[in-house]
Amino acid sequence: MAGLISSEARGQFAAIAQVRWQLFVNSLRTIRGRLEMVSRVFIGFGFAVGGLGGAFGVAAASWYFTSHDQTEWLALLLWLIFLFWQLFPVVATAFTETFDSSNLLRFPLSYPSFFMVRLVYGSLDPGTALGGLWLFGIWMGVTVADHRLLVPAGLALLVFGLANILLARMVFAWVERWLAQRRTREIMGILFFFIIISFQFIGPLMARFGGRKHPDVSRFSGLLLPLERLLPPGLAASALAHFSQGDFAAGFASFGLLCVYAVAFFWFLNVRMLAQYRGENLSEAAAAAVPRSLAKPGSKEKLRAGWNVPGVSGPVAAIFEKEFRYLSRSGPMLFTLIMPLVILLIFRLSPGKSGPGGQGFVVRTPDLAFPIGAAYALLMLTNLIYNNFGADGAGVQFYFVSPVRFREIVLAKNLVHATILAFETILIWIAVCFLYRPPSFYYTVTTVAGVLLAAPANMAVGNLLSIYTPKKFDFGTFGRQRAASTTAFASMGVQAAVFGIGALAFLLAHFLHKLWIATALLLALAAIAFVCYGFVLNRVDRIALARRETLIGELSRA
Amino acid sequence: MDAPAIITEHLTRNFGQLVAVNDVNLRVAPGQFFGFLGPNGAGKSTTIKMLTGLLAPSSGRMEILGVDLTANPVEVKRQIGVVPEGMALFGRLTGAEYLNFVGRMYGLDRLTAAKRTAELLEFMQLADQPKKLVTDYSHGMQKKLAMAAAVIHGPRILFLDEPFEGVDAIASGTLKAMLQRMISRGATIFLTSHVLEIVERLCSHVAIIHRGTLVAQGSLEELRAGVESQAAAALQEGGTPGAVPPAGEKLTLEEIFLRIVGGSRLADQELSWLA
Repeated sequence: MAGLISSEARGQFAAIAQVRWQLFVNSLRTIRGRLEMVSRVFIGFGFAVGGLGGAFGVAAASWYFTSHDQTEWLALLLWLIFLFWQLFPVVATAFTETFDSSNLLRFPLSYPSFFMVRLVYGSLDPGTALGGLWLFGIWMGVTVADHRLLVPAGLALLVFGLANILLARMVFAWVERWLAQRRTREIMGILFFFIIISFQFIGPLMARFGGRKHPDVSRFSGLLLPLERLLPPGLAASALAHFSQGDFAAGFASFGLLCVYAVAFFWFLNVRMLAQYRGENLSEAAAAAVPRSLAKPGSKEKLRAGWNVPGVSGPVAAIFEKEFRYLSRSGPMLFTLIMPLVILLIFRLSPGKSGPGGQGFVVRTPDLAFPIGAAYALLMLTNLIYNNFGADGAGVQFYFVSPVRFREIVLAKNLVHATILAFETILIWIAVCFLYRPPSFYYTVTTVAGVLLAAPANMAVGNLLSIYTPKKFDFGTFGRQRAASTTAFASMGVQAAVFGIGALAFLLAHFLHKLWIATALLLALAAIAFVCYGFVLNRVDRIALARRETLIGELSRA
Repeated sequence: MDAPAIITEHLTRNFGQLVAVNDVNLRVAPGQFFGFLGPNGAGKSTTIKMLTGLLAPSSGRMEILGVDLTANPVEVKRQIGVVPEGMALFGRLTGAEYLNFVGRMYGLDRLTAAKRTAELLEFMQLADQPKKLVTDYSHGMQKKLAMAAAVIHGPRILFLDEPFEGVDAIASGTLKAMLQRMISRGATIFLTSHVLEIVERLCSHVAIIHRGTLVAQGSLEELRAGVESQAAAALQEGGTPGAVPPAGEKLTLEEIFLRIVGGSRLADQELSWLA
């Protein structure tokens, strides 16, 4: 503790605060920084309104529960605050402060100071601010209702707030540790993906089975309630309830257990912080480095020639192989590519408007399952099509120093996307056969015609945007990898146009009772789209050379 | 007589108001080990980027092995190998896959690319961990891989931007041996480095760029003679005697460099609180 209050430590805290303020001020020098600031002011205003409104709300509810002797309901409020506090930083990562502690290690910072800096700066997020404000609201509510609770409720809520801060920091510190390495990062990404998919299924499953009586549910809830009272929000609520009933012994017992939680969170956080303070290096290179002497004897790779892709030049085949290897090593991308099949399954399980027993839209019109699945497959691919070079990162420089024309490079990448799309379309057709019924010949042909229109149209625009508004992204991680805004808007425009044309063709064919018209129309438009694609491809060299600095600069950014 | 390996005429590059490279006229003969030196921000990397097609010049002309780079970039790129500043690797391939890829991009057939890949990995001592992705390589290993990729097609000119930065002594020895072998077989090497001892040991010719302008160019002896004659002339006009080296002693490249670009500050009166 002495380390925290020494004049040196105070000077260090002040210096860190000053440098962060200076960084903020410097960020306002650019238009982008000022726009960011304006958006933060608006968002901050929204948070302030929500925070104050919420605080009044929980204060009123707490007052009501306490004054009407229904203090057990305080647990509901505390659980909501707890879940918000812990989940908000995960969901709203954009508002969370990231702080690279390794920068601090070169300074003579004592461990308590280091710990405090990490804790304080890590907690400067809306989750903590709002959580703290709402706890203050509860404290006001229960104190107004019962003046005797001023100190004990204040203590219980203070420790509960502290436990929340420590838990949030602890979870982040450990997740950071696991995310630092590619392997564990991908495993966590896949887990996250499964969770997201599971959430997609909740609606259909609830609608399908929710109406039936499940006697086990009440038995489980009977088991869970005592468990709830042993967790921090339950303990804080229990302490408040006991204090309010004048049972101070039981109240302080719950309060004591709450303190044990806070200490446990502190201890787990301390383990991570101490490792970081001792200079833990989480870099992948360092972790993966194996001394030569330890490498397995005879583990050298056999001579293995690259892929032979018939009908294309060596460089195109090389890029084709490279792109497939990249994709095959990306768990997140592979999962993205199976999403169309998952969506078809979700549609199959979805209830209709007529209630849980009814059938979903796609089940009632199974002919549309194939076009919907194919359209979804194309949408999933837009991530790649509209950002051809995103995953190459700084490697894009190689394309500019190699003796291969950009036209060939882009062609190879488009070839990969077209192959995936073709493969996915076939897979979706098979899945539709199993989940619904085999699509009719007419719908199959028309959907293929639609894909033949949509693919070159998207690739033509995607090739241009890949060069004009590139965005670096990592195949190994999920989330926070948004495309450039311009790309997103343009992509939406192209999708709206293509799907609109497709829908119009279908409507026209139905109106005229001549289904072949839609197919013919789509095929004619596909021919035009191919011409446009060729036109763009022939100009890609010139455009890429003209834009090379932006392209390299954007993709080489750390 | 062979055409010069590299010629630049009035090569200029502006970034807005900043003139990063100003009217640079370079001439590098075939088979030369050429060191391109300059302080930080002098324009070395900008020049090498222009010479390798990574950056368009604002004005001026570049000719590589007698071919105009702007008019025939693909033809030039077939003849050169490059280790750019950021190394330009593809992190999610293994070392072997990456070299194979690069070899085929330079037009090697599948088997030749695979054969050279195996040889280069062995030579660079990168063959022990075949399953390891490039992103998991250490900095030194990545540098060696980038170097291997730059030579897989047997280029006639090699452009290297800080090739020895972050490389250990063993790897550095390997790389130097490879470069010297290339020179002995007639290749030209154009190298930038801040490690002047290495440049002095390897390079036969040197050019120095300062604030975007080429301030010296020639063999080490020519540069040395130029600096010494300037110092002697200055001495005659009342300059300091220490500027001319004692008889029998030669100025090192570092001394030549510092005299040309202005030298380092003397801290005798400044920073008196330093230990």
